[in-house]
Amino acid sequence: MTDQSHPPDISPSDHVLAALDLVVLEWEKESGEFRLQGVPPGWWSERFGLESQGSLDVSQWSPFLQEYLAGVHAVWQGNPGTIEKSGPWTESDRHGGEMTLEARALSIGPRKLVLIERLGSDFENMRSIVQRARERMLTEDITEKSHRKMEARLIGQLETSERTKDEALALLQQLGLAAMVLDEGGRVAFATARALEMLDLAAQEAIGQPWDQVLSFRTEDRLLVQHLLDGSTQTHSGGPLCLERGGSRWIELEIHRDVCHPVRRILVLYDRSEIHALRQALNEQASFHDLIGKSPAMLRVYQLVRDVAQVDTTVLIEGETGTGKELIARAIHSSSGRKNKPFLAANCAGLTDSILTSQLFGHKRGAFTGAVQDQQGLFEAAEGGTLFLDEIGDIPPQVQTALLRVLQEKEITRLGEAKPRTVNVRVVAATHHNLGEDVLRGIFRADLLYRIRIARVQLPPLRDRREDIPLLAQSTLGQICAATGKKIERLHPDTLRLLMRHSWPGNVRELKSAVEFAVISCKGNEICPGDLPPEITGATVTSNSSVFIPLSNQDEKTRLLAALSEANGNRTEAAKRLGISRATFYRRLVALDIQAR
Amino acid sequence: MMQKKVCMLGGFAVGKTSLIRRFVTNVFSEGYHTTIGVTVEKKIVKVDHQELMLVLWDLYGEDEFQHVRESYLRGSSGYILVIDGTRKATLDTARVLQQTVVRTLGPLPFVAIVNKSDLRSEWEIDQPVIEQLQEEGWPVFFGSAKLGQGVDELFARLAAMLLSPAPPSRTSL
Repeated sequence: MTDQSHPPDISPSDHVLAALDLVVLEWEKESGEFRLQGVPPGWWSERFGLESQGSLDVSQWSPFLQEYLAGVHAVWQGNPGTIEKSGPWTESDRHGGEMTLEARALSIGPRKLVLIERLGSDFENMRSIVQRARERMLTEDITEKSHRKMEARLIGQLETSERTKDEALALLQQLGLAAMVLDEGGRVAFATARALEMLDLAAQEAIGQPWDQVLSFRTEDRLLVQHLLDGSTQTHSGGPLCLERGGSRWIELEIHRDVCHPVRRILVLYDRSEIHALRQALNEQASFHDLIGKSPAMLRVYQLVRDVAQVDTTVLIEGETGTGKELIARAIHSSSGRKNKPFLAANCAGLTDSILTSQLFGHKRGAFTGAVQDQQGLFEAAEGGTLFLDEIGDIPPQVQTALLRVLQEKEITRLGEAKPRTVNVRVVAATHHNLGEDVLRGIFRADLLYRIRIARVQLPPLRDRREDIPLLAQSTLGQICAATGKKIERLHPDTLRLLMRHSWPGNVRELKSAVEFAVISCKGNEICPGDLPPEITGATVTSNSSVFIPLSNQDEKTRLLAALSEANGNRTEAAKRLGISRATFYRRLVALDIQAR
Repeated sequence: MMQKKVCMLGGFAVGKTSLIRRFVTNVFSEGYHTTIGVTVEKKIVKVDHQELMLVLWDLYGEDEFQHVRESYLRGSSGYILVIDGTRKATLDTARVLQQTVVRTLGPLPFVAIVNKSDLRSEWEIDQPVIEQLQEEGWPVFFGSAKLGQGVDELFARLAAMLLSPAPPSRTSL
């Protein structure tokens, strides 16, 4: 800084020093003191006063400068070209401000000099840079420390979480619980080993997959589960549901909302396959298709139906009226390979030749009066399926011949047509007749009998399976109540006792009719004996042995004779004991050539 | 009056200037203002009715930008090592500086202060480390220039040591 106020008589070197803003001190060996050279800058005067160019009192100076000046002699005595810097130090001015100075010691020939400079903008810039650098280091240090703390806390939390997870997993494995967690997208986020085992999947096949790919439910079950998953309540359960993968496993499902993450779902799976199998076995024992009964006789019938269904032969179902022959026919059809094709039933009793022929085989327009258009028969309509011919023993001879041809050739010919048509129909026939006897009497073709009797199912009358009566009665009661809307819960034990004692000549059909009658009569929630039809409440107890059964001639003859003997020759009483009408009894006596006493 | 040169030594931003200001003028400034070079302050203390002028050399902080010049240490009667309790690295710096002094001037009286006790929850220097220093003969103080805690005690202790005829410290290189 140039001070224009300097006296005009100063030397040029003083001007140079003033321009450099330097203070020059020269040490005089003789006096051992420092002298100020030239005109000092203003800041020097501010700090140290306007001293003359005479000797300076160093003891008044700052301790830093004193110590520096005390040490510069060593520098001067050393290498003459050396310049020793003091480094920056801070001095206070007379106004309370601060200035930063730096001194240099050097020798020029014999002259020993100290130059003192006030550090200006360059120094401040350098200070600012260092300040920023150090602040940045402090900030980074704080940040790093914060990160370390956060890391330590997260590691701690992670360890705790891992430990909790391990414990929970160990517990789950120990409990053998089959469970899985679904994320918000319905994908499997976690599955226990038991669940994977149940689903027959490896972890990588399940984790991350949509639930409906992991749980291979049937369509209707899948929709049900989706509905449950979408539900808003805390817990749902459903099932049993069938898993199609892994051999049709049956499970029950509990769906819980994850308490921590409400959009997630926890599924708990319970394997109910064994229970389902047992229940199914139990149900199968108690019923088969629409047939009800678990008596040994009916269980044998069920097995026979299963066996017959496996082959494609003609079947003859024998049994008294009302025993459920058509139900057996339907069960055979439903258990067979033809189950997805038509099942048609025709009652052959009481129809004329032409009508029955037309009904079975169809006709051509104009084949007979009233045949206004071509009409296919039941054989054609049942193509691929099953045709049930009830009361086949009542088929007229001419139709028997046509039927035989169908069974042998698999062809039918419509009335009025000459060209046969190929058909693929399984025939299941039924009768309450003794067809063997009809053959002997010449009213049924033997060859047709052999054709239709390749397989035989004999249905026991209800009186031969009385243990099924409570089951049948209860089942019928449930069906009728459901249909009528009446709320009748049970049958009184006395009612059941009466039902068990009745001979049921009309078999299951009669039982159903009796229960229906009782339901209509019943005023409470329990069917009492008085609600039953009078023929049951007033019926005489009959023994099984005295009831009519279509057996061989010899057996039937023996039974009729036994009934007559027990009734002391009273035919009316004998008929009653056999559970048949007096007229029928007489007709059978004539047929079997029994002379009553 | 007797004068003793005392150097304040430590890493950058440990609180050397703040301790001197708190001690000399009882003032504390929140902002960090880095020291470049040297600032000298003086304060008279009494030790057993004897007055002693402490000439306090506030040296710039030791770090990768500035290293303490040994010439600044010359003439010191004692020194104070300042450690930032929240930065463990400043203890290492203090150790290096202590060894520098011993190497340069020999064993001198000194005290150490773990500063910033107002941030105790963030300290990285724990009790076992302190105990280790004390076992090595370091007189260790805890204090806070911000709160003024332990500051007078620190300087009083050093002043007493400076006037004590007993050996200053058993710590050496």
